[in-house]
Amino acid sequence: MKRIILVGKPNSGKSLLFNQLTGLRQKVANFPGVTVELKSGQFEDLEVIDFPGTYSLHSLSRDEEIAIDKLGEAVHDQQTSLVVCVLDATRLERSLVFALQAQALARKNNKSVVFVLNMIDEVHRYGESIDTEKLAAELGGPVYALSAKTLEGVAAFKQALSELGQQPPAIQQLDIDADDDQQLVQRAQSLSKRFGMKADLVLKSQNRIDKFMLNNVLGGVAFLAIMFFLFQSIFTWATPLMDGVEFLLAELAHVITSFTGEGIITDFLNDAIFGGIGSFLVFVPQIMVLTLIIGILEDSGYLARAALICHKPLSFFGLSGRSFIPYLSGHACAIPAIMAARTIESPRKRLITMMTIPLMSCSARLPVYALLVAVLIPENATFLGIFNLQGAAFFGLYLFGICMALIVSLVLNVFTKKDENLTDMPFILELPSYRLPHWKPLIHRVWNSGMQFIKRAAPIIFMVSLGIWVLGYFPVGADLEHSLLGKIGHIIEPIFAPLGLDWRYGVAILMSFLAREVFVGALGTLFGIAGADENISGLAANIQADGLSLGSGIGLLLFYVVALQCVATVAVLKGETGKSSIAWGLYAAYGILAYIIGVTAAQLIGV
Amino acid sequence: MTLWEMKAKQQALIHSLSAKLSPAVAGRLHEMGFNAGQAILCLRRSPLRGPLVVQVGDCVYSLEQEVAQAVLLEQSAAS
Ligand SMILES: Nc1nc2c(ncn2[C@@H]2O[C@H](COP(=O)(O)OP(=O)(O)OP(=O)(O)O)[C@@H](O)[C@H]2O)c(=O)[nH]1
Ligand SMILES: [Mg+2]
Repeated sequence: MKRIILVGKPNSGKSLLFNQLTGLRQKVANFPGVTVELKSGQFEDLEVIDFPGTYSLHSLSRDEEIAIDKLGEAVHDQQTSLVVCVLDATRLERSLVFALQAQALARKNNKSVVFVLNMIDEVHRYGESIDTEKLAAELGGPVYALSAKTLEGVAAFKQALSELGQQPPAIQQLDIDADDDQQLVQRAQSLSKRFGMKADLVLKSQNRIDKFMLNNVLGGVAFLAIMFFLFQSIFTWATPLMDGVEFLLAELAHVITSFTGEGIITDFLNDAIFGGIGSFLVFVPQIMVLTLIIGILEDSGYLARAALICHKPLSFFGLSGRSFIPYLSGHACAIPAIMAARTIESPRKRLITMMTIPLMSCSARLPVYALLVAVLIPENATFLGIFNLQGAAFFGLYLFGICMALIVSLVLNVFTKKDENLTDMPFILELPSYRLPHWKPLIHRVWNSGMQFIKRAAPIIFMVSLGIWVLGYFPVGADLEHSLLGKIGHIIEPIFAPLGLDWRYGVAILMSFLAREVFVGALGTLFGIAGADENISGLAANIQADGLSLGSGIGLLLFYVVALQCVATVAVLKGETGKSSIAWGLYAAYGILAYIIGVTAAQLIGV
Repeated sequence: MTLWEMKAKQQALIHSLSAKLSPAVAGRLHEMGFNAGQAILCLRRSPLRGPLVVQVGDCVYSLEQEVAQAVLLEQSAAS
């Protein structure tokens, strides 16, 4: 199969174009450095590869070097028939520097190049246009103006591509010395002067918004307000949806068990299926709301500003402003966040960021937080008269995770030696234009986050619930306390006694070292078996009736903030740091730290 | 004068990049548009010696002190 590769400056819209060509769903967001790995897809009978964006073919960091090496290989490869340079039409000069370098590289390897002027919708919105024919003549390769967002010009490009992919256009000679970067930069400048839009137009509107967003006082206030809104809304917006899911599950359980009648099957359905899996499905809406808000922020262009605002404070902890973006997306899931840390130029700061990302409260912790907060805090209590106290407690938990991450960073920064081989790269960040989020990929992403969460967690929760139920149900007739599970549970009980928790919590906590969501499912099954026939979906009410002291509850919450209970995260940490000792070391260290913090809190408050 | 000493809304021409910069960083700055003779506009300064924001050509960048001090400007900066 012939192959075409998509290359260009960061944030020029390669991934969105790739998605339009292949029908795949690569991550698209409005800040430089979103794509960190090659992604391959298919357009008709051509293989298409989406590359990470780079400003140049000269690397700054090791990861950039890898990306650039891969680009070199791809251009060299026999199969590659065409290099597609994606340019941001509103930032022609910067895009051209890379495009000209890529063209030179392609020519050395006897490959032809076509140029895509993306974001042409924005050029038109400012009432400007670009003479693609003259530009094509200057560049010595076909130029297509299009918008991967509004799809204007995409059909024509697709048509051209299916022909060009098979039969690449002739390679034209250039009149400049491609090895001389000085000349190249000058040429980019003169071309953009001739063909590009007046730079001021785009930048003026961007700078106007920045006047507020980066204002010394207002900008800080806006930043805090946005963060508070983010965490508060996870709680408040999701509540009605969660109630809806809870209601549906209860109805479903009611209908189904009315067919199965009394007996072991009904018991199993009630306890293990609806009690175990059901009690965690309730939290899917929260995960979707979180993804929605993070998605809006990522696509708006604000995150680059937030990184800038945070740079100085984060430097104090040995981090970079760029750590902000992985930290934020770590609140959805640590795995992509750890990958995203690749864009941090300084290897040392990148390592510290990766090691502390697991302390961000990822969405898998949401079910645990939501359950325990609902148990501990009455629903209608308010804080300072306006904020919902449950919401404020959520915010507090997130804040605790962030503070822990900063403290651990500081410690790592002080106690790990600076590696002389790893030169520290300074903070240089391009600020993209503000844009309204692109709703279609956003909706898709939100939906996907929910489905992914179910797919990942449901099988393991099912297995654990099944195991717990079998061990807890037999011997028939014995109560939970005297079941097989009870006997095992009593052995481990002393470990959790300092937290003021009995063996049932102990079993749920131990199982949650497989995956933290398991805690809720396991507890749901345990309480399901114990209270044979009461309302299955109200796990929080069951726990309340059973009694959970404030000290134990808070200890348990803090334990879950800190513990790294996710095998997938360990695997990614191992891959990205290249050391399994770091990955498993963190797994153990955060587990122990979580236990110490949990016990301390429980003992201080009193169990 | 260096870029770091610029005040908000001030405009200047780039003279050169300091030789103290590592070649990789200097090369990157060139490609980002920090070339001799290029006009540069300081958009804003952050409190606590945080990164400053500059407009160069068709892009806006944020640079921290360490790099900004290595961008040398022509003497006469107009406001
Ligand atoms: N208005 C408009 N916005 C676009 C267009 N193409 C992409 N975008 C937006 O530009 C931003 C960057 O798009 P991406 O596809 O992530 O860019 P990329 O080139 O893959 O970026 P990196 O992976 O960081 O190199 C996103 O916010 C897109 O929604 C377009 O044609 N018009
Ligand atoms: Mg991309």
